[in-house]
Amino acid sequence: MSNSHLFLPSGFIRTPLQNGLGRYIPQLQRITIKFCKSHGGSRGVRDFIESDLMEFAKTNPGTVVYLKPRRHRSPCMVAEYLNGEREYLSCHEFSRDEVYKWLSYMCTRSGIPVMRFRKYQHTDYPTIQGVWNPFTHQAPEINVAEFPHEVLSKPINHGPTATEQLIEIFKKTQLEDPANKPPN
Amino acid sequence: MAALWKTCQQCLRYGFTNASIYTSITAVNVISKRNFKAHWVAPTLRELQRRKVIEEDRGGGPKIFHRSTFLEWNYDAEIFAFSNRLGEKFNDSSLRAALTHKSYIERETARLSDIGVESNLQFQDNEALAQKGGEIMSKFINGYLRAVFTQVPEELIRAMHDYLTSNPTLETVAKHIGLGDLMLCADFPCKTETYVKSFKAVVAALAESSGEERARIFVQDLVVTQLYGQDVNELWNPVDPIGNLTAILKREGKAEPEFRLIRQAGSNSILAVYYVGVYSDKNFISEGAGESLEVAKEMAAREALKKFFHTEDSMRALPFGRQLKNIQSKIAQLENQPNVPLSEWISPKIMSAVH
Repeated sequence: MSNSHLFLPSGFIRTPLQNGLGRYIPQLQRITIKFCKSHGGSRGVRDFIESDLMEFAKTNPGTVVYLKPRRHRSPCMVAEYLNGEREYLSCHEFSRDEVYKWLSYMCTRSGIPVMRFRKYQHTDYPTIQGVWNPFTHQAPEINVAEFPHEVLSKPINHGPTATEQLIEIFKKTQLEDPANKPPN
Repeated sequence: MAALWKTCQQCLRYGFTNASIYTSITAVNVISKRNFKAHWVAPTLRELQRRKVIEEDRGGGPKIFHRSTFLEWNYDAEIFAFSNRLGEKFNDSSLRAALTHKSYIERETARLSDIGVESNLQFQDNEALAQKGGEIMSKFINGYLRAVFTQVPEELIRAMHDYLTSNPTLETVAKHIGLGDLMLCADFPCKTETYVKSFKAVVAALAESSGEERARIFVQDLVVTQLYGQDVNELWNPVDPIGNLTAILKREGKAEPEFRLIRQAGSNSILAVYYVGVYSDKNFISEGAGESLEVAKEMAAREALKKFFHTEDSMRALPFGRQLKNIQSKIAQLENQPNVPLSEWISPKIMSAVH
């Protein structure tokens, strides 16, 4: 159940610059796609560029797309984020759909490195009514009380016990139906 | 048997090279896959890293390059993306002027004159825009603060405004919207003042291009949100809270504040705690805790003032985005109308101002 076997750093969920509070700013600044024009490993990337890239660029006008055709190199993409982080992904022998999938994955990231979230929520205001301290809900009478005290020294009344409740029920039945034989 | 072994080998190799994709398990931002590396790769990389470290130490840190020195750089595309990223429309000339610094123009003209070329540059710098941007940004911030913190004295409004317009805050905002790569300036790595100037100039350019309304919403969404998560009471505190509390209650016509010890524990130890409550005419106002009676008294008075100003820990969350739609006109109205200063603060007066 522990997470020590993971080499992932861990942290609390956060977002750069209170993104989303005022307006949402897509964090992907630019994406550079390097591919070969002839080698087979770049086939998926080439197909993606020919078919889906324009639509991607239109739906994400806040992201600059750079294409780098380089001979004899395996394809890769490097995503740069607004907080200065870069992410490298090798696209060697990806299919066109895989390229699209990973590109849209890059779009949804902020540059904050992948980490294990310790909690899936975060708040800057963890308490509204105030953190509990031993004085919360204490009766003010304890300030001037002399112990042992009549009321304060006794255990807090939790209400009638089960035995007492049964006796009450029994008495009630006796009063309602005196003719009936009382239950043993 | 040999044929079976060969097929097995091929299957294994096929299975491994058609890599399944796992998320990274190292701290480096590489989405890694399973790869087999030859025995000489690791020692080579280790040696190269060792030499790189030596060179960097000799050169005084790792070499950094401006993004525009890369081959894949298109300034026009970057500017287009910048305006779309923020969801705003800019006049091209205004935006380019906002991002151009005087130092850059001077450097370029000097460079060209060194070569001997006639410098016919038509660059416009961002001095005027930055000045104007600073003014309107202050105006918008003050309007928002006064509309949201209606009961707060002007001193605290000023403290919050100073925090929001401080250089570190604006530099962070400027960096995170991508201004670092777009600015044309002579200094690299860019100084704080350069970032701040660019950001202010961008605000002014936006006001020029899309109107004051959009610029107001822009400042609210990007600058004022930096107040979220910050405890406003850490930014400013009245110097004499007990005196202020007494004065306020007197102005309101209420009884003098009476401080009473409510709780105490560990009086003779280091971890002593005293809770002091403030009462006015036997009505409870607030309580405060401290390690000594004097501290507890002051904290109680501070809590009482927080209650009056509506800046307690349990105050309402700051409104942003759509929640501001209804009060934008009120914000605009209050930009020129300062809140009541502490010397005049009393509750009936605030209520009558109809904020």
